[in-house]
Amino acid sequence: MKLRNILLIATIATLLAACGEHLTVPTNVQMESRLPKIYPDYTEVTIPANICPMNFIVQEGESEVIARLTYPGGEYLYGEGQKVLIDETQWQEMLDSAKGQTIKVEVFAKIGDTWKGYQPFNFYVAEDSIDEYISYRAIQPSYVAYERLSINQRNLTNFDVREIYNNMSVSNEKVGQCINCHSYKNYKTDNMLFHMRQGYGGTMLVTNGQLKKIDLKTDETLSAGVYPSWHPTHNLIAFSTNKTGQSFHTKDLNKIEVQDTESDLILYDVDKNEVSIISELDDELEVFPTWSPDGKKLYFCSAHFEYYNDSIEKSAEMIQRYDEVKYSLYSVDFNPDTKEFSNVEMVYDAASDSINQSVTLPRVSPDGRYLLFAQAAFGCFHVWHADADIYMMNLQTKEVQKLDAVNSDRSESYPSWSSNGRWIMVDSRRDDGNYTRPYIAYFDKNGKAHKPFMLPQQDPNFYTFYLRSFNRPEFMIEPVKITPREFAAKAKEDAVPAKYAAQ
Amino acid sequence: MRKYLTYLYLFAFITVAYILLPVMNADYLYTIQDNNVFINGRTFMMDTVQHAGGWGTWLACYLTQFFYYPWLGSTILILFWVAIYWITIWMFDISNKWSFLALIIPLLLLYHLLDYGYWIYYAKAPAFPFVPTIIVIFCLLVTWLFVWMTRRLKINWWLKKGLFLGFILLSLYIYNWLCPSTPWHFNYNFRHSILTTLTDKNFKHELKMYRALDEFRFEDALKEMPTNQEAAPTNLMVLYKNIALMHTGQMDKMFETGNCGVKPVLSDSLHLRTSQLGAPLIYYLFGQINYSYRWAMENSVQYGLGFRDLKMMTRTALFNQEFEVAAKYIAMLKNSTFHRKWALEHEAWMLNSTNFYQSLEYQTLAPLLNDGANALDGDDGLCEQFLLEYFSDLDHANSPLLEDVTLCMSLWAKDYYAYCIHFYDYVNKYPNRPISLLYQEGAILLGNAEESPITLENFRFDDIVANKYNSFVQDYTQLQQQGVDETEMGKRLKPLYGNTYWWYYYFYNDFNIY
Repeated sequence: MKLRNILLIATIATLLAACGEHLTVPTNVQMESRLPKIYPDYTEVTIPANICPMNFIVQEGESEVIARLTYPGGEYLYGEGQKVLIDETQWQEMLDSAKGQTIKVEVFAKIGDTWKGYQPFNFYVAEDSIDEYISYRAIQPSYVAYERLSINQRNLTNFDVREIYNNMSVSNEKVGQCINCHSYKNYKTDNMLFHMRQGYGGTMLVTNGQLKKIDLKTDETLSAGVYPSWHPTHNLIAFSTNKTGQSFHTKDLNKIEVQDTESDLILYDVDKNEVSIISELDDELEVFPTWSPDGKKLYFCSAHFEYYNDSIEKSAEMIQRYDEVKYSLYSVDFNPDTKEFSNVEMVYDAASDSINQSVTLPRVSPDGRYLLFAQAAFGCFHVWHADADIYMMNLQTKEVQKLDAVNSDRSESYPSWSSNGRWIMVDSRRDDGNYTRPYIAYFDKNGKAHKPFMLPQQDPNFYTFYLRSFNRPEFMIEPVKITPREFAAKAKEDAVPAKYAAQ
Repeated sequence: MRKYLTYLYLFAFITVAYILLPVMNADYLYTIQDNNVFINGRTFMMDTVQHAGGWGTWLACYLTQFFYYPWLGSTILILFWVAIYWITIWMFDISNKWSFLALIIPLLLLYHLLDYGYWIYYAKAPAFPFVPTIIVIFCLLVTWLFVWMTRRLKINWWLKKGLFLGFILLSLYIYNWLCPSTPWHFNYNFRHSILTTLTDKNFKHELKMYRALDEFRFEDALKEMPTNQEAAPTNLMVLYKNIALMHTGQMDKMFETGNCGVKPVLSDSLHLRTSQLGAPLIYYLFGQINYSYRWAMENSVQYGLGFRDLKMMTRTALFNQEFEVAAKYIAMLKNSTFHRKWALEHEAWMLNSTNFYQSLEYQTLAPLLNDGANALDGDDGLCEQFLLEYFSDLDHANSPLLEDVTLCMSLWAKDYYAYCIHFYDYVNKYPNRPISLLYQEGAILLGNAEESPITLENFRFDDIVANKYNSFVQDYTQLQQQGVDETEMGKRLKPLYGNTYWWYYYFYNDFNIY
């Protein structure tokens, strides 16, 4: 055999040996009496039966790690430097086997020449699965500016991310717009919407799979539709209409206040392309409408605010009195057949002297038993309020409790329910105080929320290098079918004006 | 000789390109790089490639970072243009005599790069120096491959046509792969800004002053302020100059060093704002940490993330003690090619607060930080106006530097009421300290005015100030009596009083804040 061939075989053998190198659990281990520091913190979390691999990184210095995942059917070892990257097929096998049980995780880290072992932790695999998709607006935590943002959809059972719409596709140096408030009817995407503002402004509305562009601003309403909620059974959408402004703190780390100087509620009849007023009371700032699952009640937030300084503009007075604006929770009955609203009821008087807080973003559970909302000391834009937390109301007893399990000492906002009501998702800034990340928590049959976990990513370092927030994360049971190009083409068309229908 | 024409044209082009790029416009190229970002690693790549023009943009961002060293970036770009020249000649069989025609595309690309002027702050397309070059090269390579195949392979007419069709389909597929989500819209507009890039001295001064201030080389920033009066400085230069004066303890020299800024006159419709040109740095150097962060964030959302935004967000996060978010930015910068050293230096601040408190940046800005309680406000995008009003209205300056700033800013803003109050507080606080000539100039003019909220009966001005003011009043009155108009009066009095506050107060009325 020629020398060249011998070298070739030796090289191939070496490469194969390197590829085939398999991990083993170290034998001589110094045990620590604590859990390992891992990022994201996935210790003792309850996970859906169909979630993607919970990859994580071990933060125990510059170490080499091995993680042993033990499930009812066996065990697997993982470790790539400091990262624990779980094979998707093996993970699915583990989930299938451990449904209703646990996957035990033991972490070993080589620090210097010493292997250290840490207290094991568990993934509790729920019997319940989670909706296959979420969508979110990927945007830097900016203040007034917009442009580089997209609405993305993420498959939760794997790591696939696709753009629903990229705002830059129709932007140039002369035309630009913001996109916001993506929303779906009953978690499906054949009826969905999002808004575009400025440049190619209008509401991109998909009804029964058909894409339209509508201008919801009429002469009789404050603005175009803003915060939407699709009626669950009829072709109706409730919106708030808002005159919104921003002002900026010179020192406070909350940095910005987003305030409505005026706001009302409207109802949009999709079939008739008609807008009508739900509520436009003087001295009331109505916002964040959300339907009950049966569609017979509309919940919303409202703050009583009287302007008393005629010498300055409303916006200037609002800035001066920004911390006086406190929203309470209301409901109004609705007859879907006659489209009549009646009987406004105060559901939770958060602004009362005894509570003295401000409620935003109510969302009712699919079974109609619970209502989640975000609460902070004042205002309506809690994503910028570090004291904002998620609360839950039992709609049968009207009892309100803070969901300690899902809250942190930083902002929590935008709660949402999965379609089966077993998972809740909140937008949290706990990671670094600035960038919102979606956290998913199990919500059991007894109405108890469990420790949340940050949306897993293929590379556990993803969040370190990703400079966008996950804004308005919403569950979906199917992907959006309209392509980004179709949205872009429609965006360039003129919006069809909605008609105003007097009540 | 004719057989060397191809090389001669190329040599001439390369020479011109080098002169116009790194020799004449090194700061321009550096700034383009500073407004661009490239982070090594999967997350940045995946985030870039899923957007319109993904892979091409990612490659262009990678190459643009080399303008950190303008010669290096220029050499890479020029090499691409040389390749375009040769491929064009080869593909079209261009003779030596006509080979200059192959320079049309490289010349257009050179023009494109230089045609940005102030647009370098407003361009929404990332990595614009390399994107068109990459598109051209991609198209040329596809065509080259087609030509090569048809020349080498003896194929019949029908097969040739089929091959041509195949190439079109292949190109469309690759184009689609390059732009997975949306069309790579390509609506280039001539910006008519090449003259700004090549000949506008103020534009060049601004670029240099920004970099000097960013690196806390305040004396170097001052050297960039032209001392001759051939052209009025821009507002931005005046701002930069006054910042440099403030941090070298000479803010009371602001009216002696040209304080009459103008708005740049542009040949296109660009709506210039200091918020985009330098607000994050300006606010930072005035100790307005939240506003600095805000504008770094706003500009990065609107016009794309740049290294300068990332660095400014890092600094402000450190000053606000938001260490987790600072760590994030530092981690990104550590994964860059040329800004890693900066990141490591600032990581040391984060890991050890002693390093931070002893740093030049903290020591420089600390006296500006404790200016009292939080305020909820807004700047309407007018950074200069906000600072003038904010510091003029500041009633609790608690450091000598802040006291100087409040006095100077109220003079700068011509806010006589605020100045009088600040001056009154100042002389009462420091009864035995010599008062600077500028503050006396301000007081003698504004404190003695009828509307003045203070009385200066017991205050004794230096003779030199009092005498000069009397002679100014005399000359002014004399010219007024002669019926000389304001503009002419300003011109005539400038040689004698151009470096006084009085001249600024009476004759600088073009206070065009942008």
